[in-house]
Amino acid sequence: MAKQLGFYFDATACIGCRACQVACKDKNDLVVGQTWRQVVEVSGGSWTAQENGTWATTAFAYYVSLGCQHCEKPSCVEVCPTGAMTKRADGIVVVNAEQCIGCRYCEWACPYGSPQFNEAKGVMTKCNFCEDYVAQGKKPACVDACVMRALDIGELADLRVKYGSVAQIDPLPAANLTRPSIVLTPHAKSSTHGDVKKLALDKGGMK
Amino acid sequence: MNVREWALITFTILAQMSVGSFIVLGIVHYFTAKKSGEKQADELSDRALLAIGPVLALGMAASLLHLGNPLNAYKAVTNLGTSWLSREIFFGVLFAVAGAVFAVMQWKKIATFQIRNLVAILAAVIGVALVYSMAMVYMMPTRPSWNMLTTPVSFFATTLLLGVLAMGAAFVANYWYVQSKNPGCASEQCVLLRDSLRWFAVASIVLLGFQFVLLPLWVALMAGPATASAAMLVGEFGVVFALRLAFVFLGAGVARHLFVPRGVESGARKSDGHGRVLGVRARPCR
Repeated sequence: MAKQLGFYFDATACIGCRACQVACKDKNDLVVGQTWRQVVEVSGGSWTAQENGTWATTAFAYYVSLGCQHCEKPSCVEVCPTGAMTKRADGIVVVNAEQCIGCRYCEWACPYGSPQFNEAKGVMTKCNFCEDYVAQGKKPACVDACVMRALDIGELADLRVKYGSVAQIDPLPAANLTRPSIVLTPHAKSSTHGDVKKLALDKGGMK
Repeated sequence: MNVREWALITFTILAQMSVGSFIVLGIVHYFTAKKSGEKQADELSDRALLAIGPVLALGMAASLLHLGNPLNAYKAVTNLGTSWLSREIFFGVLFAVAGAVFAVMQWKKIATFQIRNLVAILAAVIGVALVYSMAMVYMMPTRPSWNMLTTPVSFFATTLLLGVLAMGAAFVANYWYVQSKNPGCASEQCVLLRDSLRWFAVASIVLLGFQFVLLPLWVALMAGPATASAAMLVGEFGVVFALRLAFVFLGAGVARHLFVPRGVESGARKSDGHGRVLGVRARPCR
């Protein structure tokens, strides 16, 4: 089986502190408007009146922290007209700024909002799995910053052996669209509709 | 209102207009040649043919403004294997070349009528491939509200509609020009121009009507896989969407009023037989 690196995320552990998001922004020196790693909040449930005058609730909230999924079938690579977006032998999806024409087609094609446009440079940018850190045997900035140890990386096949193969919980789109290289431990209230929608990104007020 | 994509919209509209114009003009030429001969058909369409090139060139220039890094634009055709955007640019350039070759051949009357016809048909087929590629750019499983049959259907409907309207404008201009040189023109050219305009009007009304059906159908289709998008359309973009429907309706009315002479409406109700061409009272010639 081909080598494929991937992220692991534990929705039962994440407290939504966004340390991963900030660490990513710091390490990669991202400009305002860009967050390669994004933490989204999912909430739901309702309140029902009981016969004894009290209220019962099913309210819940959990967080999902997402970088690029470095998909096995990346739609950004497929649609890129110049071949600037490529999938490396280790499975990491990278964008070559020299080749990029800034048409933003990958931005349309990706259901995770991973490729992000840099207005000043006129080209696309995206999570590169902290390839420099990984090459030195270190872990990406987001993983090391997590206070709850909700994030990890590894060989996708190993992650699946260790944590299972869930790759689709709300608010993520159906996993069969792009086959994301991510393994998730779902929150107890996570549903797995795979309803494709643009992630309503709540960046916690951070830009 | 979202104005970020204006360059892309300009490109899409102008490219569709040039392909539609080329096809519509070809159809007009074909029927005119059958009816009145090759010479009359050439005279009818040659001036309008020259207007198509600049439209496409303008559209392609606009497409460059969409890019963040236009200096790299030439690299856009390097992923023909999987990217519809690459194919779109490829067929766009190919259509421009084929169209230009045909326009020069037609203008200078190079080669025989049959050979020119073949080149025209080839250019038209490339044009159809261009519009198909443009539609396929939006056909992505990750964008369910675009990934529907209504996308390519509406792209082709718009192509024909813009073609009919652009050629209508070109023929009206030509008609005015001919009238100014020869007031009350009763030559066969004037008759052909008026007849073509009448057909353009009918075709545009039919196509506008078709779009009027297509828009609600699209919303209905979205209800399944793209509920969120459908909700946005009636909520956030509701006013724009309603305006679009209203303009489609209004467009059909204006086209009918301007181009379809009253006498054509009903044979029983005899009018004076004068057709109206954009406010110019045309005298009956037959």
